[in-house]
Amino acid sequence: MNATQLALSAILLTALVLQALLPALRVLIVLCAAGLACLSSTLLGVGTTHQIMAEVPWDVLILLVALGLLSDIFAHSRLFGLLALHAARWSGARPAAVLLAFAGAMYLVSGLVNNLTALMLVLPILLNLLKLMGVHQRYLSWTLGVVLVACNLGGAATPIGDFPAILLLGSGRMTFAAYLVHAAPPTLFALLILLGIVTLWIRPQRGIDRDPLSARLSVQVMSKLYRNVRLDKRRFAPAAALLLCLLVLWTIVPSSSGVTADLLCWLGVGAVLLVNTHLGERLLRRHVDMEAVLFLLALFVMVAAVRRTGMFASIARQLGALPVSPSIQLVVFLCLAGIMTGIFSAGPSMAALLEVGHSLAQRLPPHAVYVGLALSVCAGSSLFLTAATSGPMAQALTERAELRGGDGEPLRFGFFEFLPAGLLSFSVIQTVALSYAWWNVR
Amino acid sequence: MSELPRGVEQAFGVAAAELGLCTAAWLFVRELAQAGGPLLVQKLRDSLGRTFPVLDAVAAQWLDGSSIPVIDPQAVVAACAGSKTVLVVGFEADFFDALLAQLAGVQFRLLRYSPFGVVDWERILTNYDERVGLTDLSDFQRWAGTRSVVLTFLYGAGDHSAHASPAWLRLVGEDVRAQFHSFIGWDVLRQPMYVYPRWLVEVPRSDFSVLA
Repeated sequence: MNATQLALSAILLTALVLQALLPALRVLIVLCAAGLACLSSTLLGVGTTHQIMAEVPWDVLILLVALGLLSDIFAHSRLFGLLALHAARWSGARPAAVLLAFAGAMYLVSGLVNNLTALMLVLPILLNLLKLMGVHQRYLSWTLGVVLVACNLGGAATPIGDFPAILLLGSGRMTFAAYLVHAAPPTLFALLILLGIVTLWIRPQRGIDRDPLSARLSVQVMSKLYRNVRLDKRRFAPAAALLLCLLVLWTIVPSSSGVTADLLCWLGVGAVLLVNTHLGERLLRRHVDMEAVLFLLALFVMVAAVRRTGMFASIARQLGALPVSPSIQLVVFLCLAGIMTGIFSAGPSMAALLEVGHSLAQRLPPHAVYVGLALSVCAGSSLFLTAATSGPMAQALTERAELRGGDGEPLRFGFFEFLPAGLLSFSVIQTVALSYAWWNVR
Repeated sequence: MSELPRGVEQAFGVAAAELGLCTAAWLFVRELAQAGGPLLVQKLRDSLGRTFPVLDAVAAQWLDGSSIPVIDPQAVVAACAGSKTVLVVGFEADFFDALLAQLAGVQFRLLRYSPFGVVDWERILTNYDERVGLTDLSDFQRWAGTRSVVLTFLYGAGDHSAHASPAWLRLVGEDVRAQFHSFIGWDVLRQPMYVYPRWLVEVPRSDFSVLA
């Protein structure tokens, strides 16, 4: 490793560690570090700021912003509230069924829209239902934990569900259809295994007596709370039609045509915002997730600077030089991806590791590398409550809900309450990722 | 079935915060009566009556033979005649829904204030069309005017006083009295409470220009 590589890698790693240690200052930390990376890169002769900026995957940022806006339109159509209500009704407020219904619903929703928006609207309804049901700490911890993991799995199931998959779609290394075909089945498989283990073996519902009156009362109150809520078809219909069109176009229009996934998304979401004129303008002015955009932009800048030093190619070469078979090399890479994501969160890990992944994909089947990587990042995101953005949000919403157990003791959902679900989920998803990669490489 | 459901106090708190004390009380009493008859309603009263006096009063009404609440918005509708805006202080879902259906073309503003702490008012709003919006103590005077009235729900009214949401005290001052056409109190309980009126405040009957 030469001095240039060392300096720019040190900036990237220091920023990653600091943002993990001080999440409240994470955007400020990575933005300052990105500026420093540009300066160092210029002074060390690696590349000017313009050259680095030209390597930023702007298409990913466009996809992220556009899909976020589309999620907001769905939120304004009241779709998520109704979905949660139907999940509550379908489950009949039976503890095991509530866990299954909400995890299943969030898996499906997270595959199509921004899971943060969906979670923000569904979680308060779930928390209300849990209050009505009178649950205990163990059930609360496992239910919320599994719902969060289902969001991560849903996000990894489709190319538009979450940032790592969007990055793959934007990079053009896998087509929309290819990713969907290869990633959806293993994520669903992982979810089913997880739900099976939790509901049949761990059984968090143990200790909550079967109480038909409590269940009926819970459903009646939920129905009353949402007595007049109807789907706003004016908002829902154009957004749903657009999403359907985009899914078709992403599948049939080749990226070689120049009409790329991000361009289709830009134009399509623009059209939906035009249909919802005033709401569209309001969303654009006030609801674009600038925090995510700035955070990822700063990461991309730092990664681009490190890439120009040849650092990632060097790591990939060292990985390739390991005296083991390529499939074992892939296993090592995926394990590293899972652990790094657990520590640094999905965005930074994926942005850095994808560069190494590209090198591996030249020697191994690309889908084995990329889908394996997306699954490993998903496993890492599920390890700790702090690894995914949705975790701290769920914690804050649960604290605000002031849940109490049967004896009146306050119920919590924090780092340690999530940990058992996180460890189990990490093990299950990482095992599925490794098995998937192994199966496709052998 | 002779046992109260688990966590019934927390469950009632959830319902009361978003539906209103009286609406939630009737819902719980009806459901428990259906499951366990008078015995279970009496148990509910014994268990939660002191904490939630409106629930206590509703349970007593049910045990005395009233199986459904009396929701007659006609007097309030008459008092609101000619109004453009109704500022609603406190919330009772069943009663508000009945009133809303009778007052086409009138705008409603719900005052965002609850004795139960954090209430998701945006979610309450999803039950209604654009006619219903929210307002706060800091900006409710935007809705003042000669064609604006203030409505609150009362929980038993005597010759001299009535029980209302604490929000009423926060809102009604001498300056405010001059800014609205009338102040309407709608007695949704129609009988005095038997225990200390927790969550509520006693206000003079003279606060109201119309008492329905």
